[in-house]
Amino acid sequence: MNEEYQAQKIEEKVQKIWDEKSIFRAVEDPAKEKFYCLAMFPYPSGRLHMGHVRNYSIGDVISRFQRMQGKNVLQPMGWDAFGLPAENAAMKNKVAPAKWTFENIDYMREQLKRLGFAYDWERELATCTPQYYRWEQWLFTRLFKKGLAYKKTAGVNWCPHDQTVLANEQVIDGKCWRCDTAVERREIAQWFMKITDYADQLLDDLDQLEGWPEQVRTMQRNWIGRSAGVELQFEVDGEAPLMVYTTRADTLMGVTYVAVAAEHPLAKKAAADNPELQAFIESCKTTSVAEADVATMEKKGMATGLMAKHPITGEQVPIWVANFVLIDYGSGAVMSVPAHDSRDYDFAKAYGLAIKQVIYPADGSDISVDTEAFVEKGVLKNSAEFDGLSSEQAIEAIADKLTALNKGEKQINYRLRDWGVSRQRYWGTPVPIIHCDRCGTVAVPEDQLPVVLPEDVVYGDDVGSPIKKMPEFYQTSCPQCGGKAERETDTFDTFFESSWYYARFACPDADVMLDDRAKYWAPVDQYIGGIEHAVLHLLYARFFHKLMRDEGL
Amino acid sequence: MVLKDGSKMSKSKGNTVDPQQLIEKYGADTVRLFILFAAPPEQSLEWNDEGVDGASRFLKRLWKLVATHLAEQSSLPVLNVSELSAEQKNIRRKLHETIAKVSDDIGRRHTFNTAIAAVMELINELSRFNDNSEQGAAVVREAVENIVLLLSPIVPHITQQLWNELGHDELLANVAWPVCDESALVRDEIEMVVQVNGKLRSKINVAVNADNASVEALALADDKIVANIEGKTVRKVILVPGRLVNIVAN
Repeated sequence: MNEEYQAQKIEEKVQKIWDEKSIFRAVEDPAKEKFYCLAMFPYPSGRLHMGHVRNYSIGDVISRFQRMQGKNVLQPMGWDAFGLPAENAAMKNKVAPAKWTFENIDYMREQLKRLGFAYDWERELATCTPQYYRWEQWLFTRLFKKGLAYKKTAGVNWCPHDQTVLANEQVIDGKCWRCDTAVERREIAQWFMKITDYADQLLDDLDQLEGWPEQVRTMQRNWIGRSAGVELQFEVDGEAPLMVYTTRADTLMGVTYVAVAAEHPLAKKAAADNPELQAFIESCKTTSVAEADVATMEKKGMATGLMAKHPITGEQVPIWVANFVLIDYGSGAVMSVPAHDSRDYDFAKAYGLAIKQVIYPADGSDISVDTEAFVEKGVLKNSAEFDGLSSEQAIEAIADKLTALNKGEKQINYRLRDWGVSRQRYWGTPVPIIHCDRCGTVAVPEDQLPVVLPEDVVYGDDVGSPIKKMPEFYQTSCPQCGGKAERETDTFDTFFESSWYYARFACPDADVMLDDRAKYWAPVDQYIGGIEHAVLHLLYARFFHKLMRDEGL
Repeated sequence: MVLKDGSKMSKSKGNTVDPQQLIEKYGADTVRLFILFAAPPEQSLEWNDEGVDGASRFLKRLWKLVATHLAEQSSLPVLNVSELSAEQKNIRRKLHETIAKVSDDIGRRHTFNTAIAAVMELINELSRFNDNSEQGAAVVREAVENIVLLLSPIVPHITQQLWNELGHDELLANVAWPVCDESALVRDEIEMVVQVNGKLRSKINVAVNADNASVEALALADDKIVANIEGKTVRKVILVPGRLVNIVAN
């Protein structure tokens, strides 16, 4: 035996043996207990970083340990290959995103091999290949026909200089991360996935995920945010009633104003003959639509001059436009109870609005709302017929009363919004839709899939998506009437690809989305990745799992 | 998350360490060992250069352990458990305790750092064990082979080579994970404290199944105790089985 430990020589030799004998190739064997170990696949950014090496080392130890326990282990590796960095690199280096991406994959694959991870390389996949993304296009067209994918106008962050939509993370201090131009809020038509239809299942099934860390389950529960409350209406003279939702119906008698989003029809109407209000609404357009930003930004507002009628007292309360009310959340209007809500309190203090206390501590102690809101539950006072009721009793009594008056009813609400999946970017999966002047929005028929993203594109100084300027891509004929039509040029959010790759690894060469091999390997027995993916990625993956199940896959 | 000097490693901060350079300098096994030893998965990993050197030194030590053992043993020793001395049994018990701990740390707790630490401890104990008898060598052989198996998921290359050097042809990845031998965990003797009038005066080793009378006799015959109670009359002996003997004398 050699006296000296020669790491490089030994590692090269051992890896060659593994490679020649393909010992980490995973083959389905119903007689053997399986173990599917998966570490979150990397974005091919160029080189592995320490975080990658760490995750993949952890996954490899678990895989090798389980293999030595006698289990049939699957440990695959692939590439989450669509995304913005490839486009940025393309602009900077004048190289096509596809070329840049595949070169990075080649380099990083060698790095992973050099680290000796026990992957079944025959199952390697890259999400930017038509062999992969054709199946999510296929699923999307099925979901479109079921009404689970739909198009609607929604507010987005828009960079007027780059002429593109920006993700919330790409807006830094209200400015475009790339060119520093002030970002605007813009309403454009976008594709959405109806994840809210699955909100109950996504929430209830969390209880069955016993192997999941409690922290992840709690984060998902909070994200879905199911709440029991009351939806009620404030009538407005000559207008449709304002619908608001509250989980604190017990504070209804303390409402002193109602706030609406800048994009709300009532706000627009009031602004028609009020230039000052019009200017304020315009200024709201430069605020971010990110929830986190809304929570921390300065609360601003302006009176509309319109009044709303309290559903129980009949009292008229002013309607304000406020920058913290988002049109995409609920109905874009909220009832405001400054005495018992901190945000309403700050707003009322700033604009000199009335503060009416209606909840008092249950233990009879004295509490003042002169310096801050009292947000706890308690006992009602100053609430006419509801005086003396506890908050819990009052919620029931007020809900009953509103129901009797036909002005409201109990409702379950979710914090979860439908998932906006449109990106006005080039390097992503084309949305498989055709727009026809006669037939409207038509799904690309199955036999015409995949809609292949042209890879041979040239980047100029223009940052817009090249396929939006490529008639050879977007000009097509309508699958229904055969007339001239245009392809959708938006692409999917890259979370689309990462939502189902775990299942495709079971059958990467299948000529359907998934075949029986997926049933053998599912579920993933151990998943390794950062806690930062606890909500979006892991929630979307659970959503896709249910969508694929409901497609009979 | 990977930290360096207390802040997150990121390109924008310019504080990244490129794994490629480390692999080229030390090899993949050292990088894997360092990363897994530095922190359990749910904690941030704080980068430090000494940690990589430490991992590299440990693998050299592991290599030397096997090389030394093979150099000293020309023939393959056969373990005969019934012939082991107390010290040989101690080493064997430590080995099987380590197998149990590493299996649990990797398989259930996913605390690879404590698994590695347990193997390091075993190697330390082994290096203090100088026993050139046939059974001594057999115990070392068993320990060395199992150390190679226990470390194989973490450092798969060096362990494969060592496995071959130890005379095995097969691929380590296809070998079954070691199983803890429960009988090796059983202690034949236990240590008991001996007090005189409530003060600690000595410690004795007694057989696990010894009856009270023989434990008492052993305690009273202990050299230190004999010296301590010289000239006194033993009034009473209080015995807490498995733990202590208190001699009341005046």
